[in-house]
Order: sequence, then structure tokens, then C-alpha cells
Amino acid sequence: MGKFLDKILERFKIYRIPGYYEKYDHKWTMVIDLDRCNGCEACVVACNAENNVPVVGKEECGNKRTLNWIRIERYVEGEYPNVKVKFIPIMCQHCGKAPCETACPVYATYHNQDGLNVQVYNRCVGTFTCATYCPYDVRRFNWFTYKRDEPLNQQLNPDVTVREMGVMEKCTFCIQRIRAAKDRAKDENRSIRDGEVQPACVQSCPTGAMTFGDMNDPDSKVFKLAKSQRKYKLLEELNADPSVIYLKRVMKDGSSATHEE
Amino acid sequence: MLNRRDFLKLVGVGGAGAAAGFALGEKSKNPSAELIPYLVPPEDIIPGVANWYTSVCAQCSAGCGIIVRVMEGRAKKIEGNPLHPINKGKLCARGQASLQALYNPDRIKNPLKRKGERGKGEFQEITWEQGIAMLSENLSSLRNNKRETEKLYLLTSSIRGHLNSFLENFIKAYGSSNYLQYELFQHENLLLANNIAFGQDTLPYYDIENTKFLLSLGADFLNTWVSPVNYSQGYGHMRQGRPGIRGKVVQIEPRLSLTGANADEWVPIKPGTEGLLALGMAYAILEQGYYKGRDAQEWKNILNKYHPKDVAVLTEVDERRIRALAKEFAVNKPSLAIGGENVASYENGASQLIAVNILNHLAGNIGKNGGVISNPKGASLSNRRGAIKKITAFAKDASNGKIKTLILYNANPVFTTPKTMKIEDAINNIPFIVSLSGSMDESTAMADLILPTHTPLEDWGDDFAEPSVGYSIATVMQPAVSPVFNTRNAGDIFIDVAEKIGGAIKKEVPWNSFDAFLKDSWKKIYDKNKGIVIQETTFDEFWDNLLAKGWWRLPDISSLKPGHISTKGINVYLQKEPSKFDGDDKNYPFYLCLYPHSGYLDGRGANLPWLQEMPDPMTSVVWGVWVEMNPKTAQGMGIKNGDMVSVESPYGNINIPAYLYPGIRPDTVSIPIGQGHRLYGRYAADRGVNPIEILPFKVDPRSGAIPLNSTRVKITARRDAPGNMVKMEGSTREFGRKIVETVTPDEFSKMGMEG
Repeated sequence: MGKFLDKILERFKIYRIPGYYEKYDHKWTMVIDLDRCNGCEACVVACNAENNVPVVGKEECGNKRTLNWIRIERYVEGEYPNVKVKFIPIMCQHCGKAPCETACPVYATYHNQDGLNVQVYNRCVGTFTCATYCPYDVRRFNWFTYKRDEPLNQQLNPDVTVREMGVMEKCTFCIQRIRAAKDRAKDENRSIRDGEVQPACVQSCPTGAMTFGDMNDPDSKVFKLAKSQRKYKLLEELNADPSVIYLKRVMKDGSSATHEE
Repeated sequence: MLNRRDFLKLVGVGGAGAAAGFALGEKSKNPSAELIPYLVPPEDIIPGVANWYTSVCAQCSAGCGIIVRVMEGRAKKIEGNPLHPINKGKLCARGQASLQALYNPDRIKNPLKRKGERGKGEFQEITWEQGIAMLSENLSSLRNNKRETEKLYLLTSSIRGHLNSFLENFIKAYGSSNYLQYELFQHENLLLANNIAFGQDTLPYYDIENTKFLLSLGADFLNTWVSPVNYSQGYGHMRQGRPGIRGKVVQIEPRLSLTGANADEWVPIKPGTEGLLALGMAYAILEQGYYKGRDAQEWKNILNKYHPKDVAVLTEVDERRIRALAKEFAVNKPSLAIGGENVASYENGASQLIAVNILNHLAGNIGKNGGVISNPKGASLSNRRGAIKKITAFAKDASNGKIKTLILYNANPVFTTPKTMKIEDAINNIPFIVSLSGSMDESTAMADLILPTHTPLEDWGDDFAEPSVGYSIATVMQPAVSPVFNTRNAGDIFIDVAEKIGGAIKKEVPWNSFDAFLKDSWKKIYDKNKGIVIQETTFDEFWDNLLAKGWWRLPDISSLKPGHISTKGINVYLQKEPSKFDGDDKNYPFYLCLYPHSGYLDGRGANLPWLQEMPDPMTSVVWGVWVEMNPKTAQGMGIKNGDMVSVESPYGNINIPAYLYPGIRPDTVSIPIGQGHRLYGRYAADRGVNPIEILPFKVDPRSGAIPLNSTRVKITARRDAPGNMVKMEGSTREFGRKIVETVTPDEFSKMGMEG
């Protein structure tokens, strides 16, 4: 009996190794160059198409209940004629220390072995807690079950769950594409190539502002881009450790006043 | 019942493994498609595994190559074709959304015959046989009286490629010369300006990718203008694709567009004076001796009226700024000036665009990498301009009873022409109207007979992109899915009609189906180039490879030399004064500038829910339309964000919510085009207003372009009407939260290669 217990304890020891919980098979990371991003919203529609994000209609848009997983934030600073406009695409930042994960009472959102912040729809009971904990405002709640007018439903992507009323959802970094690439790599007995996984937004981005890859791979494009001196993370002071790295936009005066003048 | 013959056909289709059950050269429309389609599973369909078919995007005229993800016969996702030289795997929001054009619930599902009064929208479903018979009878009776064949008019959107040549053939064989193409943004003024300046009636390739200094005069090239995906890629590369070099962008326009928002500098110029600014800059370039050509003195003589001091008064741009821009433009090589839609949309738009060409010429940007590169004429298959006839001439002919039968194909002139043009009344004069459009738009609703055609994702075809990227490109369109509804290919309709009419027409179109014609035409291209640029030993091999790759580089038929602008006679074409705007400035204090909405373009995208719900990049407004006003101006009139206002031109007025936008001149208001459909399906209908309605009836007599920026308007608050604008933004300000962090250009240059 003692031997058996020792064996179990031995196996559990690995979980006590410092940094175990940060050692992921992959560390999926997105780098977004804000000097390339032009705010065209191709990524937004590409995401809608890939991830079965429903259209909610004008009234629900007015209630701020859109379900877009990615949005372009646009800031207009200054007064005519010295107007500066800045764009930034924001989706789930897949935080290493995600505030939303600590919040969920039913473990519907958790961290997976790839360092992704994932959402299990059929565990979710819709307490909305995660959305209130998220500093990036990227979690979206299904207030209703949205019907698609036939035959628009024929477009639905079979690789992605169609969500219903009462469920929280958000960007998955196109986990279905990651899974497909993993399967392919496994079948061919190799590791995933850099650039093999492209979430829908990255794939569509006309200016090439977005790059996706594995931070654990020192030869990857994201690894190299992350060395840029322009690198920063969104609301870094909150220590949520996001997996999305932004590269600062180059512009003459990008500052913003802290108060309305 | 499935008879033996049909059964064998079904097996044949499956065995051949043609794309989504289409067999080339098969005249019948896949007779067994509705009968137990998976009884014999097609070889290339594995449940759960996606197939990708190459095709071409038809949401605008850029001609991007696409790949369509198909699972179990249904289209799931569209992406850019990574092998295609125009968009290199990328795609814009409109292209992504074209899936919803395929599966749109408001598509016309069957052939329709008008039931009630014309224009009332009452139709009854008929069979294809009945529909074809109706059209054939009409065309036969017209033809029996020989003089009447000219009274058949065909009005299409700007189509290129073999469908275009097919229609040309048909119309000619029928005995009519009235094949017209019309859509709102056909770049007529740009083509005219290039023709006058360079003697080349083509759109050039703007090498944004390699330029160091980009001067954009009203070109929203990152959003809607000409070939936005290609230009966006170039833009990304220009900014951050070359270590150590970051190109600079200056945007000159009265209203800050999406492209302007990304520029380093915005010059809010007085509307209608952009060309003058270009000439003022040209003057400064000559004065400083940056132009080394032998004809420098001649240019000086021609441009002596455009002293920057005088130009500054007209354009309201500081003289020092004009000189500084001129210096930057001449010194930072390669530089590039492009004149866009906003400039082309003035009454003297062509003259202003010629000024931009001159500016490029004097800075030595023509034919240089990073400058303006001319495109070859290609295989002349994109015979677009040959077919452009002025829409006004069409309206005139219609009112004068010169048109007895009109065939419409994807053109919607009722929506895209000013009310003052009275095109609806003109069209109403035509005794017999047939529409081949697939959606019930405003023009199709006037038809007596509707024969709905496929969407591009169900159809065969090809496209010859213009502008191309310095060499000619042909892109093939193949059906990714079987037809969703009871629709047909446009060419097939004409083939069926030709068969019914018989005689000489049948001889001219001897094919069984349009796809047979398409394959035949490509066989001719193959035969011509076999062994020269084509390595494949058989046509079938070539065709298969073509469909797999999606595009093919055509051998250039005529290579054009880098254009040189001669001083001879150019004087006549120079812009002499600011463009005219109708209405006096006392009663109508604001310039009205229209621009294509980033999702709806000229209105065609308004029926796609994804685009309706896509927040406008600059205002974040969804499902609606707005008028942009400077906040100071609005404040003075007591107008708040979202308040309803009346925008009144001398020709009409519209009620529209106001959006307070600091990126617009105080004397200008701006409205996006695309909403305000009366019809066009549940997502588009009765949503906002169409600003084209209040424009004056003007047409550039040389190019046929309708100037969109040609009237002044008056704004009055409508306290009685509630605002109905929905925008997704909260505050537009960042409040020092450092969400979008920036570095200055100086800091960036210090970072060196690591930036």
C-alpha cells in the first residue's frame, strides 16, 4: 500500500516543479504591427465567417450586444485640422495569468496545454463573471439564440460549435485550425511548421499586420518580431500576461489627453 | 423517377469528379442533382474533409483570386488565393462576405414574370422554358423587322473576360450595337486622364510597395479605391517591410478617409482644388530645378499661372506647405502621387488627374520602381472600355423610344444615378425589360421578365484584371458549389435564346453551353502559346493546372513604353479654376462630398448582413447611414451627435442622422454611398437614404463620368424626427490610457534595424 502511495506521490511531484504551469507544448502568440494595421476590418468579417459568429441586427447592436470576437478600436485625438486617428485590433489576449479563469465557478474557461485560454461551451452556465473580470472586454454573451435566415445557415463552419442562448464566447485563436495543423503534423510525423497555423484574421489581413506562431520556437517569425523595440502589451500594468504582442505605431504625436478638453 | 439514362449520367458525373458535380460541356443542368445526390458519392468528396476551389472575387472590379472552402458541397469560407499576384492570399471584408451573396435568402429563386403593374413588384414564378420562350419570342419579333434589331439594348455591370466577348458576339450577331456597361465607379476620368497624358487608355500599376513618399490626392486606396487589397499589401510593405526604410504618406482631401487616417500628414484642402495644388507643387519643383528634362523651360511656361502663392489662396493650403511638399516629393525618390476617387468625382476630375500625372512626370516617377508602372494592354479580352457608352445617352435613347427591349445584367442604374436624371421614367418607356440579375434590386423590379443568374461561386467564367501588376493576368472562375436555387449562367440563357431564334445567330454561338465556350476559348489561348509559354503537352493537362492554380500569366501583346508627357497641347487640359459646385454659398453653405462605403461600395454590398453589421472603420456606425459634419459647425447649429438633419441640395433633400467628425472641413459635409435601397432584400431595404438622389444631372462629356462632388447643400436640424443612428463606439478618445502606443518617426529611425 505504501509503495503504491509513493508511486502516486512521485507522479504528482512534477506538478510541484516551479514553472510547470507555464511550460506549454506550444506558446501560441500573435504579433500585431500597428504601423501596418490600417483598420480596414477584413479581420472582423473573416472571423465572423470562420467562427459562426451570428449577426445580431440593428436593435441589438444598439444595446451593445454584438458578438464579434475581434473588433477594431478607433481613437480620434485632437481637433480639426490636427486630427490623429489610431486603430488597434483587439481580440482575446489569451492571457498567461487570465483573470477570467479564476472567476468561472464551473471551470468553463481554463488554460490548455498550448497556453490558450479556452472556453467550454457546454460547461458554461452564463454567470457572466468572466466577462466582468476581463480587462480587455473581449468576452461576448449570447443573450439570445440567433437564427440564421435560410439558406445562410448552409455557410456555417462544421468545425466550430454553433452557440446558443446563455453561453459566453470569445476568440479561440481559431483552435480548430491549430488542431487540424497538429493532426496533420502528427500524421506526417513532424512538428508544426512556422506559419502553418493561421487564424482567420491573420490569414485575411491585407497589410500583413498580424503574425501568428509558436513563441516556444526560436526560429518562428513571432519570436523574431517580439524582439522589436516597438513591442508592448496591452494594459501590461495589470500583469495578466497577454499572448498578443503589439508593435507601436510610428506617428508624430500619438499622445492623448487624459481629460476631455 | 430515375431512369437508366439519368442514372448513368449521375455515375458519369461522380466518376469524372468534376467540380461539385459539374461536368464540362454538359448541356443539361445536372439532371439528377436533386435525386439522392449521395447515392453514388462523388470521388472528390470525403465527408468532413474540405475541398478548396480557386475562383475570382466579383465583389468589386479589382479581380482578386480567391479559394473557396467547400465541405460536402457547401461553401464555408473564402480566402485569398496565395498564388495570385494581385492579392497574394489576402482578401478584404467585402470579398469575405460574398459567401452571403451566395446563400442570401432574398435571391431570386426561380424565373419570374411580371403580374401586376410595372414596378409594383408583383411577379409570378414561371419555368425556365417559359422564360426563355418569352425572351426568344420578343427578340424574334424585333428581328423580323430588320430595322428594329438596333432597338435591343444590353446593359451590364463592368464585366470582363470571355463573358464580355461572348455577349459582344451575341449582340453583334443579333444585329445590335448597343451593348453598354455601367456602374458607378468605372474610373472613366482616370482612364481619360491617362489617355490624354500618356496616350495610354489603361490603369497603371502603382508600386506603393517600393515607394518612399506617397502623395495621395483623395485616393482611399486602403479601403475602396481600384484594387484595395493589392494596395494594402503594398502599404504594409512600404511601412514596415523594408528594414531601415519607412515610407511616408501624405493625404490631401477635404474629408479624412480611412487612408487619410493612416497617413502621416493630412492636408484638408478646399474641395475641388486638388489639381491646382498638384500644379502648384509642379511649379515649385520646376522653380527649384528638380526637373532635369530638356523641356523644363516649356513646362515652366505652361505652368507659370500656378505660382504657389496664388494656388495657396485657392486651395487654402499654406504656400510654405505647398513648397515643402513639393520638395519632399522631388527629393525622396522614388516618390508616387496618386489621384483617387474623390478627385475624379469633381466636374473637372479628369483635368485634376492629369495634373497628378504631370506631377509624377516632373518628379521622374513614371516607369520607375516605386512609381507609376504602365500595364500592358494584355490580350485585349478585357474589352471594358469598348463597351462603355455614356449612361446619359442610354437614358436619352430610352426616353425617345429608341429602345424596344432592354436586357439588364447586374447593372442597377436606378440606384446609382441622380434622381434629376430621371432614368426610372426613361426605362419605364421601354416596352420590354428583361433582367438577368440574381437579386431584386431597384432596376430589376422594373422588369417584365426576370431570368435569375448564378452568383460567381456557382458559375463558370474568367476575368482579366485591370489594373494588373505590370503584366497581364487571367483568373478563372469555376463553380465551387452546385446552384443553390433554380438559376442559370447568363451565357447559357443567350445560347438557349439563340437556339430558339435560330438562323445566323445560332451559327455565331454554336456552343452547347457557356462553359463549353469558355473551355473552347481557352483552348485557343493554349494552341497559340503551346510550346512558347505553356509547357503542358495536352490541353486537358493545361486546363486542370489552370483550375488548380486559379490564374495564368498572359503573354503581353503590346509592351508599352514608360509614358512621357509631352508639353504639346497639354495646356488645354490643365485645371484652370476650382471645380464648380451647384448652389450659391449663401443658401447652400456646405460642399457635399460623397464616398463609397467600405462595405457596400456602390450599394451592391448592402444586402450582406456581415457588411451591415461591420462597424464603419471611421465612424463605427452599423446598419445605417450618416452625414459627417465638423463638430464646431454642428455645435454652432445646435446639432448633436446622432441628431436627425435635413441635407438639402438645389435638387432635393434627404433626412439623415449627423455624425460629428473632427476629420472634415467645417465647410464640407460627407455622406457614404451604399444605403437607401428601396428594395434589394430584407437586409438592405429601407435602411437610410441614398445621397446620389440629391445630385445634379451632370456628366463629363468626354469621359461619361457622373461627378459625385458637384453640389452644395444646406443643413437644417430636424427636431421632429428621432435620430436612428447606431454606432459601436463609446467615446472616441483614448484619455491617456495608452491603448495604442506610438513612437515618433525620430525615435523609430534611432531604433534602426531592430525597430
